[in-house]
Amino acid sequence: MFNAIVSADTLRTALDSVSVLVEECKLRLEEDGLEIRAVDPANVGMVDLSLSAAAFESYETDGGVIGVNLSRLEDIAGMAEADQLIHLELDEETRKLEIAIDGLEYTLALIDPDSIRQEPDLPDLDLAAEIILEGRDVNRAVKASDMVSDHIALGVDEAEDMFYVDAEGDTDDVHFELGREDLIDLTAGPARSLFSLDYLKDMNKAIPSDAEVRMELGEEFPVKMHFDIAEGQGTVTYMLAPRVQSD
Amino acid sequence: MTDWTEKHRPSTLAEVRGNDKARDALREWAKTWPDHREAVILHGSPGVGKTSAAHALAADMDWPTIELNASDARTKSVIERVAGEAAKSGTLSEGGAGRRVLILDEADNLHGNADRGGARAITGVVNDASQPMILIANEFYEMSNGLRNACRDIEFRDVSARSIVPVLRDVCRQEDVGFEDDALQKIADANDGDLRGAIKDLQAAADGRETITAEDVVTGDRDRTTGIFDYLDAVLKESDAQEALEGSYDVDETPDDLISWIEDNMPKDYEGEELAAAYRSLSTADRWLGRVRATQNYSFWRYAADNMTAGVAAARDGTKSGWTRYGPPSYWSKLGRTKGARGTRDDVARAIAQESGVSMSTARRKILPHLEVITHHCKNREATVAMTAAYDLSAEHVAFVTGSGEDTNKVQSIVEDAQQLRAEAAVEGSEGAFEPGPDQGDSRDESENLDTGATATDGSDTSTSVERDEASDPSQGEDPEAEDDQQTGLGDFV
Repeated sequence: MFNAIVSADTLRTALDSVSVLVEECKLRLEEDGLEIRAVDPANVGMVDLSLSAAAFESYETDGGVIGVNLSRLEDIAGMAEADQLIHLELDEETRKLEIAIDGLEYTLALIDPDSIRQEPDLPDLDLAAEIILEGRDVNRAVKASDMVSDHIALGVDEAEDMFYVDAEGDTDDVHFELGREDLIDLTAGPARSLFSLDYLKDMNKAIPSDAEVRMELGEEFPVKMHFDIAEGQGTVTYMLAPRVQSD
Repeated sequence: MTDWTEKHRPSTLAEVRGNDKARDALREWAKTWPDHREAVILHGSPGVGKTSAAHALAADMDWPTIELNASDARTKSVIERVAGEAAKSGTLSEGGAGRRVLILDEADNLHGNADRGGARAITGVVNDASQPMILIANEFYEMSNGLRNACRDIEFRDVSARSIVPVLRDVCRQEDVGFEDDALQKIADANDGDLRGAIKDLQAAADGRETITAEDVVTGDRDRTTGIFDYLDAVLKESDAQEALEGSYDVDETPDDLISWIEDNMPKDYEGEELAAAYRSLSTADRWLGRVRATQNYSFWRYAADNMTAGVAAARDGTKSGWTRYGPPSYWSKLGRTKGARGTRDDVARAIAQESGVSMSTARRKILPHLEVITHHCKNREATVAMTAAYDLSAEHVAFVTGSGEDTNKVQSIVEDAQQLRAEAAVEGSEGAFEPGPDQGDSRDESENLDTGATATDGSDTSTSVERDEASDPSQGEDPEAEDDQQTGLGDFV
């Protein structure tokens, strides 16, 4: 059983943060909220989202897992105004999701969850550095780097006590530094890894510019980025595997 | 019921049967991968264990796998995004030091719109990869040369019936099914070479039975493709009309290709009256192919096929014997040989078309033949120079039109003269714009000049366009005075 009412804005924000990586995903219906974990086809990027029951106007379920086509669901959610409410109800008989927006009803066929790519366990990584910065700084770094290269290095300079971004293109380079005073918080540690800009660009799309992003970094280790959505009622964690440093 | 071929897929390389040499080579490749960092191509017939070996290897090495096969759309962007990233990135759990293997199944089968640009993208990914890659293919030579050279290759041979029987025996034991040795032998023989086919047949035979006896084994032959040479032999020597038509269903060629094969090889066997009758059928078939192309109605293919196969077979008097050396259609090699010349011809036509404002085909069919006559072997040197200057042709192009050798002094000097002529024309055409102190008189001269230019271009006659007055040179249009009429300058307001 699943029956929930949620504002279009909240639902769209949540779906957008997942759809940048995958086209279909499993929704885990837990009693205290909705959870999505998905990994992209190349197994390079991963998203872990939880939206607590408090983010919904009303939320009732007795558990279960359903598979959905995200772009379809996003299209439907896009039919609603930002402040309109969306009513989601699972029809157990037909295994379809009934979606109602102010008189508009849409029946969405679900996907067998077993046919969706299995997500790996969230690995327990020991990441030495932690940077807390504003979403708009992530955006600036990614945007500038994208002009010159397809990959960037994220790192922490322990001596200078700052976080830096390096992008090296064939002819042009971009370097971006944020000292302790520019950041919300910084736990310095040895950290530098190379990442694909394609993925960071997609993830950046889903990060609100006024969000507080907690970034965990290591030496040639995946990066983790955590931020809140839906006024603190939901959290998103992105994880991205590093590029292998070729030499 | 689960598929036995999946259920009994080997979980480690040691369980891979029938291809010991290939198996060892694969293991060796994986062990030494950090040193050579090459991708590997596994190739061989269907059902011999290539995919199984790849997955078993990944399990042995404890490498997570990313697989792309024919059920995925494999366009350039998908391959670059999925395979490209996977091949360049570390893993989520171990970071940059983590290994993963990328398995590209059916790498020789990238077809049509769904896989647009995929084949080339694979080569790019292979060259940039920093993770091990395994490519799997049936036909090694269906893959591009660049890709083959960039990879190590391991051939998987057909699994002999002798090696298939013990595998079947193992499967029977694990599935708790009784068997007669003869039954297994029969299945193995029927599937010579194809281990997967044998296991599938075994499962079919065991379905609903406790013991498999030789009588239970009723395996029909699988559809196999007939080679084109065997088929030509049948059509041109023995088959009657019906056999020829039905035989063509097993040949993996489109009617467009098949007609070239038949047309090119038929005269090696046929003679006299039958040759004429066979050509009549082929020409009818060709007309049907033309209709298919024109109308895009592919149901007409059946009439084309009837004529080219049954028609040709029916034209034959009795049967032929002996061995004939059949070869691929000479039309194809001719296309290949003339590629350069056709390219040059098109270049020349494009230059003419641009200059004369006609289409390329008009330039090729209506103008080029005249030019060839006028400038034959550069005998009329003046005209040849004029043509070269008018169309700004290179030595290669002049050689093509005149039929003289490209490296001869004659052609070289013509090109030089033409360049000089163009340079002079350009200076003349600038109407003294580069000389200091323009006076009033200039603008009148200019308008007269423009008029002559217009009349000259009006003549559509080829010879006119060759010896066209240099005044019609397009650089005329760029003179500053003429522009003044339409565009004011800031200076006008000061």
